[in-house]
Formats: sequence, structure tokens, C-alpha cells
Amino acid sequence: MEPAALARFVFGRIAKAALVVLAIVVLNFVLIRLAPGDPASVIAGQSGAADPQFMEQLRRQFGLDRPLPEQLWIYVSRIVMLDLGVSHRQQRAVVDLLAERLPATLLLTGAAFVFAISMGILLGTLAARRVGTLADTLITILALACYATPLFWVGLMLVLLFSVLLDWLPAFGMTSVGANLTGFAVIVDIGRHLVLPALTLGLFYLAIYARLTRASMLEVADQDFVKTARAKGVPEGRILRAHVLRNALLPVITFAGIQAGQLIGGSILVETVFAWPGIGRLAFDALLARDYNLLLGVFFCTSVMVVAFNIVTDLLYALIDPRIEVAS
Amino acid sequence: MAPNRRSPAGLRRRDFLAAAGATLAAPAVLGPGDALGQGTPRRGGTLNMILNPEPPVLVLGVNNQGPTLAAASKIYEGLLRYDFQLRPQPALAKSWTVSPDGTLYTFNLQENVKWHDGRPFTADDVVFSIGKFHMELSPRSRAIFQRITEIAAPNPTTVTIKIREAFEPFLLMFDVTATGIVPKHVYDGTDFRNNPANATPIGTGPFKFNEWRRGNYIHLTRFADYWKPGQPYLDDIYYRIIPDSASRGLALQSGQVQLTQSNDIEPFDVPRFQQMPNLAVETKGWEYYGPLSWIEVNHRVQPLGDVRFRRALSMAIDRNFILNRLWFGVGKVATGAFSSATRFHDPNARIAGYNPREAAALLDAMGLRPDAQGVRARLKFLHLPYGEVWTRLGEYLRQAFAQIGVQLTMESVDAGAWARRLAEWDYELSINFVYQWGDPTLGVERTYVSSNIQRVTFTNTGGYSNPQVDALFERGRTAVRAEDRQTAFSELQRLLVAEVPQIWLMELAFPTIYDRRYKDVIVGGTGVQASFGDVYIG
Amino acid sequence: MRDFARRFARNVGAVFGLVLLLAVLALALLAPVLFPVDPWQMAGVPFAPPLEDGFLLGTDSLGRDVAAGIAHGAHISLLVGLVSTVAAIAIGVTLGAVAGYAGGRIDDAIMRFTEFFQTIPSFVFAIVLVAIFTPSISSIIAAIAIVSWPPVTRVVRGEFLSLRSREFVQAAIVLGQSTPRIIFGQILPNALSPIIVLGSLMVASAILLESALSFLGLGDPNVMSWGFMIGAGRSVIRLAWWMSVFPGVAIFLTVLALNLVGEGLSDALNPRLARRRG
Repeated sequence: MEPAALARFVFGRIAKAALVVLAIVVLNFVLIRLAPGDPASVIAGQSGAADPQFMEQLRRQFGLDRPLPEQLWIYVSRIVMLDLGVSHRQQRAVVDLLAERLPATLLLTGAAFVFAISMGILLGTLAARRVGTLADTLITILALACYATPLFWVGLMLVLLFSVLLDWLPAFGMTSVGANLTGFAVIVDIGRHLVLPALTLGLFYLAIYARLTRASMLEVADQDFVKTARAKGVPEGRILRAHVLRNALLPVITFAGIQAGQLIGGSILVETVFAWPGIGRLAFDALLARDYNLLLGVFFCTSVMVVAFNIVTDLLYALIDPRIEVAS
Repeated sequence: MAPNRRSPAGLRRRDFLAAAGATLAAPAVLGPGDALGQGTPRRGGTLNMILNPEPPVLVLGVNNQGPTLAAASKIYEGLLRYDFQLRPQPALAKSWTVSPDGTLYTFNLQENVKWHDGRPFTADDVVFSIGKFHMELSPRSRAIFQRITEIAAPNPTTVTIKIREAFEPFLLMFDVTATGIVPKHVYDGTDFRNNPANATPIGTGPFKFNEWRRGNYIHLTRFADYWKPGQPYLDDIYYRIIPDSASRGLALQSGQVQLTQSNDIEPFDVPRFQQMPNLAVETKGWEYYGPLSWIEVNHRVQPLGDVRFRRALSMAIDRNFILNRLWFGVGKVATGAFSSATRFHDPNARIAGYNPREAAALLDAMGLRPDAQGVRARLKFLHLPYGEVWTRLGEYLRQAFAQIGVQLTMESVDAGAWARRLAEWDYELSINFVYQWGDPTLGVERTYVSSNIQRVTFTNTGGYSNPQVDALFERGRTAVRAEDRQTAFSELQRLLVAEVPQIWLMELAFPTIYDRRYKDVIVGGTGVQASFGDVYIG
Repeated sequence: MRDFARRFARNVGAVFGLVLLLAVLALALLAPVLFPVDPWQMAGVPFAPPLEDGFLLGTDSLGRDVAAGIAHGAHISLLVGLVSTVAAIAIGVTLGAVAGYAGGRIDDAIMRFTEFFQTIPSFVFAIVLVAIFTPSISSIIAAIAIVSWPPVTRVVRGEFLSLRSREFVQAAIVLGQSTPRIIFGQILPNALSPIIVLGSLMVASAILLESALSFLGLGDPNVMSWGFMIGAGRSVIRLAWWMSVFPGVAIFLTVLALNLVGEGLSDALNPRLARRRG
């Protein structure tokens, strides 16, 4: 692909993505304002005393005393400057809060994603290579089982098994409280805490990737160009790697691109079960406390990630399959 | 706290009389440790405790939610503190007098008190804090301090406060959690809520703010220039932020933290910690707040306006079941509108006990007969969104009321919607729990008098209106002498118990669980929300 | 049709799934007979382990019968799964049919709209919707339907795009049939099989979604549901594992059954693919 065409493509996609993100922000802004109660009422409810003056002060402090369209305008014009405002409840810049919590979520979802896609493709390939054998059946059953189990329940069962009964791995949190570890010990500590949540989040997607890989490998294996290769006497291993797998991965990648956003949703559950300090839980708590700025900030952040991921997927797609023109 | 609770009612009355009626200086330095101190305090050591949820800011007044109070009460001080019987004790005020007509209060302040930034503390700081700072920020202070006609500092160690008319509970308003004294030189003339100094609070308390790693811990260190000789004993206090309740339990169990408070430990976990020999489980220390939970009744909705119906609901509830099965025995069954820790509580006024048969008979008498499905009345119930145990409570109540043919439809809402719905009177039944702040005038009256029917949470949102109740609250409020207040409030409690304007459930107790090596942890009626200057490792 | 049944019956997994599904359905229907007592009733001592005091699956923290909860919960899971899927399919088919049939700008606009909805993480979106409109059966069904229609639209549009140019459709157009009649009478019946397969899988994921919402405390507080039971058991898992294990098994079996049936349908409806499965 020519650099100019590529640049035009990327630029066009980014412009479109920005519009999508903006639309999401506006939609969420409107939605959240439909919810009964505002941050002032939550704080009043938890302060044990309130009067109209107090409520009014809080609303003024949060800028909630202005008309709604004006608030929306202020919010959107700030977001363009990447200023996400201040959390009403925590009285801190939303950007700081996100910066604090995002790494934990990225670590969790990243680990889960890598685990799911690598194991998924591996198992899927294995199953496709031995269609109809016991291995295929077992993998298919495993995938079906993972696919049918509620995420949060898997998490609980893993806690029950590995933390409560066997006492091998920590059940909650990301680090040991007050352990004052340094250097390598910190990494080990976080790693031990990461195992169960990443496994939980990963299993469901593993199932999907395994099934997808298996199905699309079978589909591709039947196609003419593979038959031709085989007729030409290309070794089976090479056929698998160069032709079948390469083409079979296309739908997997497409799906992974779409699914990246859904991982955030799953992380809310996993972060709840494992008390993992990520943005999923942050968003949930912000929603319940009507922390408008914080919640919108999380939405903004995740939707940017999703559209960015989609662009990357499209590019990858183009690289793997030169037949697809990015410009179209 | 159980048995000797009954008699002090009389005793407390006399003590307050001593403080309020007569012009009498308080006992000079009656350290709260006197009653408890078995050993000699030693210097040194660190206390790790839990704070949850993480407070937005540590400046009193700017935020008055529980976690803020817990941490800020070490940094700031009030003029007074209170013992378990809610008798005032010296803090920043060394002694105080009240004029015979009950309208002039004179506070003599401690000498050589310094702010954490090294500046001297003076009477001007007190005048500023009471007259301006809390007056503007705190709805609770505002309601009381608007009675002040004049507040002055005749000299740097004296503050005089004149109030419009005698107000006997006035002396309860000077705890650090009600009116913490803040530095005038930092706040005067600024926008209090948005003052950049809010990030680094400066007080006069035994511990000063050192560092706040958000989401991780708050670190307070010993203030070397603290005015009380020898105190504080501890070198450091760490507040660990642990949002998940299971992790909190684990941290306490493993000794990573030595103290948990308030809701840190879920009720079902408390029995487990009671079994551990190295831990003390203390339920004292909430007397000043007297949290009482009840079924919040909207009197505008029929048949809730009918006293017979409310009585029937109240009798359908097995409060001991709630206490033992939901709160695992932590707390007490409510006896009426006043918490038994609140001043002027009358143990003789008690609500009727569990008796579903009589409850059904009352409904029969009202003409509310069961329909084909066995239902006499249908009502909506708004869950209190403050955690699992409250959801379970709602589920229990639905079953309890179903027994007498009252069907509840549950609505679950989050904290935002709950506060709004209550404030908008948009509910039929809900659960609420409210602090009584030691005195019926300060913390009970607001729920029942018709003059406080407002569209704001923690007012009389249920719309209960009874001229007799109004009159008795007024008599109790305006009486100069504590005895006269007791007479009015006893009559009031008997009336309220018959009227059941709210269906009281439980006097909540939040256990403070701490490592037994730490001594003098809970020394007064504000429990963990106190200075901790007395705490030492024995 | 008989062909289809035979192909379906040859698939062991699908038959197993169907049997399982019928069992769950029977449990849901027979719950009032098997467990006549209200599942919320505090029937025994709290935290009774399975098989003790006459409780097959034990009791929860208030002494409620876990087995009764599971039986009554089956009803709500199936109801939510079914109704929300029907609603999602209604939205998806309408939009997809219009987009695929009309083409051009309308198609473009509808597909943009669909893409937009797919960009929002569906679970997060469902949480926000339920929290805003306060949790109840209807708000949960609506939220699940709102987040699950986009895939239907895409599939239906694809089918319509390809079917539209077929001879029988062209013939109908020439004969002057009305557009709705062409859409519903000619094209839709031919596009049904992928919709049916998708639908059975959507019921499964709707059940999972409902249980996740209930687990987070966003379920309807008036009905006993499996997700709610797991959520209530979560904090006491050290004390009473049975409170969260059994409802999870119930969800697992139901969702598994639906997936197996869905696959069986898919294979039976697409014999070409099925043969390849071996």
C-alpha cells in the first residue's frame, strides 16, 4: 500500500472515530442526567444533615446550577482540550483518577486477552487439525462449557478453590496490604494477584477464539487455493502456517477488535469479584454515586480505546490480507 | 454498655445541670483516661487503621462524611470533647462557664497552643471558625449557630458567645466533629471549599498531616509541639484505603492493620473476630451519634397515615431476629424515638413487642380485610442502598409484613436516587438511619416536628404533623433547666411510642475492632472520631 | 421439515441440549408445585448445609431454601432471556430489513447507527440503562434488548442484500406487490434460518447478562433470580459455598443447553456445514 493512501486512510478513520467518540460522550451525558438524583443529593444523603443552602452550594461548586445545554457545551468544549474536569465526589482531577486506575485494568484485560487469544488459537488449531477425534471433542466441550459459564461465577469458584480451599493464591486485591515489598518481589506479588482475575476474564474469550479458529480453519482448508497448494506438494505444516492459519485468523482478528471493548464490560464484573482496583469498578461506583464527570471520563477513555483498537484491527487486517484495500 | 445504662439518665441530668445551669467551671483537667488508664502510657509506635471509603478531602466542614471525620479528628480539635455519658470535657477550651440565664457562654482556652504550621492559636481562630467557617459550610452548625447574637474574643485566650435565648444543648455543639477549629490565617477571606490549602490540612491536633497517597494510604505523624504534655504517644498513624470488605477482614486478621471502625467489617464477620483472643471488639464510642434505624414512613400515603396501621406494622417485626440474624448480635433493639445513648432517653417508654396476632387484629379493626390473595394492603418499599445488610433487612421486612397481609413491592435504587426520592417525598416506605448527636433537640426533633417538613433529606420528609409533638419538642428545646427538659421529653417519648410516626428498628452499633496491645483507644462518646492523643502501645 | 428433524436428531449434543432445556423449562413451570412455599420465606435456620434439615441444597443467610430459589429463579431467567431476545430481534429485523432492502443512503445511515451502538461496550451500556431506569423486570428486558440488536441487524441486512436480487423477489416487484408484502411475504421467510440460530444463542447470552446485572445488585428486587442468589452468596462464600455454587450450576446448564440447541439448529439448517463437522 502506498504511504499516501495509508495516511489518508488512517486520517479518515481517525476523523470518523472522533465523531463517534463525541457522539458517545453526548449520549452518555444525556443519559446520566436522566437518572434521578445528582452528586449533591448523594453527598447530602451521606453527610447526615442538609439544608437547601448546602445543596445549592454544592451544586454551584460542581457547576450543576447552570442550564443543561450550557453544561453540555462546557463539558464538550473542555473535552476537546482533553480536560475531563474534576470528580465531584473525590474532588480530584478525573484524568488523575483514570491514570491511577487505568494501568490496573490494562494489565488485567491485557493479560486476559493474551491468554485467551493465544490459548484459543492454539486449541482451535489443534481441534481443526484432528476433526472428529477425542481431542477435538474435548476441546469443543471445554469451549462450550467456558462459553456457558457466567464470568463472575467462574471467578467465585476459582476463589473458592484456589484461595479458600487450597490457599494457593490471594483472593482479593492487586497487592498485599502493607507488605512494603520492593523490586522483583512487587512483580511477583502483583503476578500472584493477577492469576485468578485474568484467568476468569480470559476463559470466556478463550472459548470464543477456540471455536472461531476451529470453524474458520475448517472453512479455509476446503478452499481452492489450499487444495492447489496441496496438489503442488507443499508440505502440510507449511500449508497450515502459510495458507490456512493466515487466512483463518482474519475473522478471529475482526472479532478480537470488536471484543476489545467488551472486555471493559467484563472487567467490571471481574474487578468486583476480585476487588481489583481498575476503571471498571471505578465506573460502577461513579454511576451509583452520580459522579457525572468521573463516569463520563471513564466512558470517554474506554470509547477512545475501542475506536483506536478498531482502527488498529483494520490496519492489521490489511497487512494480513493484501486483497483487502484499506481505502474502500 | 447494657445494665448501668438505666440509672445514669438521672445522673447525667445532674451533671448537665452543673455545667449549664450554675456558673461553674468544669473540673480542671479531668483526663478521659482517668477511668481507664490501667498502665502508664509509653511513647512510640505506629497504628495502622482502615479508612473506607477514601475521603475526598480532610478538612472538616468542607466535607463532613464519616471517613473525613475519622481522619480529620486527629488533625483538628474542637473546644470540647465528650465522655460516654456525653458530659463535656476540656479540649481546646480549658474551662467554660454559662451565665445563670443560659445565654452567655465563656470559654477559657488552653495556652501555648500552636498550629501545625507553627503559628500561635488564638481566640480569633475560634471566633472565625464558629462565626464564619462552619456557619457557611455546615448545615448542621448553621441550624444551631444562627442563635448566636454575638461572638467575641475579649483576649487571646477567651471567647464569649451570646445566644438569643437559653439553649441547654448548646454545649454539645463543640466537638471536633461538629465544630472543628480551623486556622483563620489560612481560610479568612478565601473560598473555603476551593482553597488550595485544603490539600494540606493544618490543625492543632496531636497528629499532623504528612502524606496522602491516593488510593493507598494517608499518613499522619506525631505533632511535637502539641499542647498537652507528653501527648501524643504514637509516632505515626497510617490510614490504609481498602475498598473491598473481604480484603479489610483479611488485613485485620493478618495483623496488617490494627484497627477497624464503622462499617469496615461486615456484620457477619464480627463473630469471627470476637473469637480471636488478640483482638478487642468494642461497641462503645457511638453515644454522641446515637445512630437509630427505622422504617421511614410517608404519612401522606394511606393507610400509613393511620396510627393503627403503623402500630400493626411495628408489631409485625421481630426486632430480635433482625438483631441476631442480620447484625449478628451487634447493636440493640430500638425502644422508641430516642436512642438509649441519647440524653433524656426514658427507658419506661417502650414500643410494643413482636405480636403478629395482635397486629392482624388491629388491621381487622380498621376494616382492612384480606382479599382473595390474602392481602390487606399493598405498599412500595424503597431499599436503602448502603450495602448488603440493608437489602437483607428489606427482604426480611417483606416477609414479616406478608404474615399480617401487607404486601411490599420492593424498589431498589442507588444512593443518588434514594436521596432524591426521599427528599422529593416520592416514596411510601423506606429505611433510614439518623444520628441523634446526643440530644433530642439536636438530632431527634428534625424528624418529627411539622415546622421541619421540607424537601431535603434528613428533615421531616414523611410529613408527620402533630401539634402536641411540636409543643413538647418546643418545651424541651426552650427549657433552661435539664430537669424541665427531662419532664417534657419523657412525656414526648410516651406520646411518640403510641403514635409510631416512624417504625423504629435498631440502635446501630459499629464495632471498633482493635489489637489489644493498643490501650485507651475508645475513651469517649465519639469513639474513633477522637484525637487519639491518649492511645499508646502497652 | 422431516429432513431437518432427522439431521437435528443425529447431533448428540443438540439432543442432549434439548432434553436439558426441556428439563429447565419443566422446573420453571413446576416450581410452584415442587416448592409451594414462597422462595423468599425464611423456612429454616440460616446457613444450613445441603441435605441438612431437609433442605436439598441448603439454606442461605436468612434461612431461605436455596433449592426453592433455584426452581423459582428458572422462571425469571427464561422469561428475561426469551422476551428480551424477541424484542431485540424485532428491532434488529426491522432495521436490517429496511437497510438491506432500501440500500443507498438509508442503508448507510442505519449501518452507521448500528456501528455506533456496537462501539459502546454492551455490558456497561446495559448497566447504565438499568441503573437510570431503576432495576425492574421491564427495565432489565429493555436494556438487554437495546444492547443486543445490532448483530441481528447486520445478519438480516446481509441476507436481504443477497436475496433482494434473486428472481423470485424481482418477480414479485414486477407483479406490483407492495413493499411490506415483499419484505414479510417473500424475503423474510427465506432469511429465517440464520435469525433462528442467532436467536437461540441470544437467549443464552441474555440469560448470562441478566444474571450479571442481578449479581451486581441491579436485578429486580421482587423476583428471585439466579444472579441475585450468587451475589448474595458472594460475601459469605467462606461460610456457605452452596449459596453461590448451585445457582451458578443452574445458569451453566441452562446456557449450555441453549448453546447446544443453537448449534444443532445451525447444523440442521445448513447441511453443507454440518457435514463438514463430521
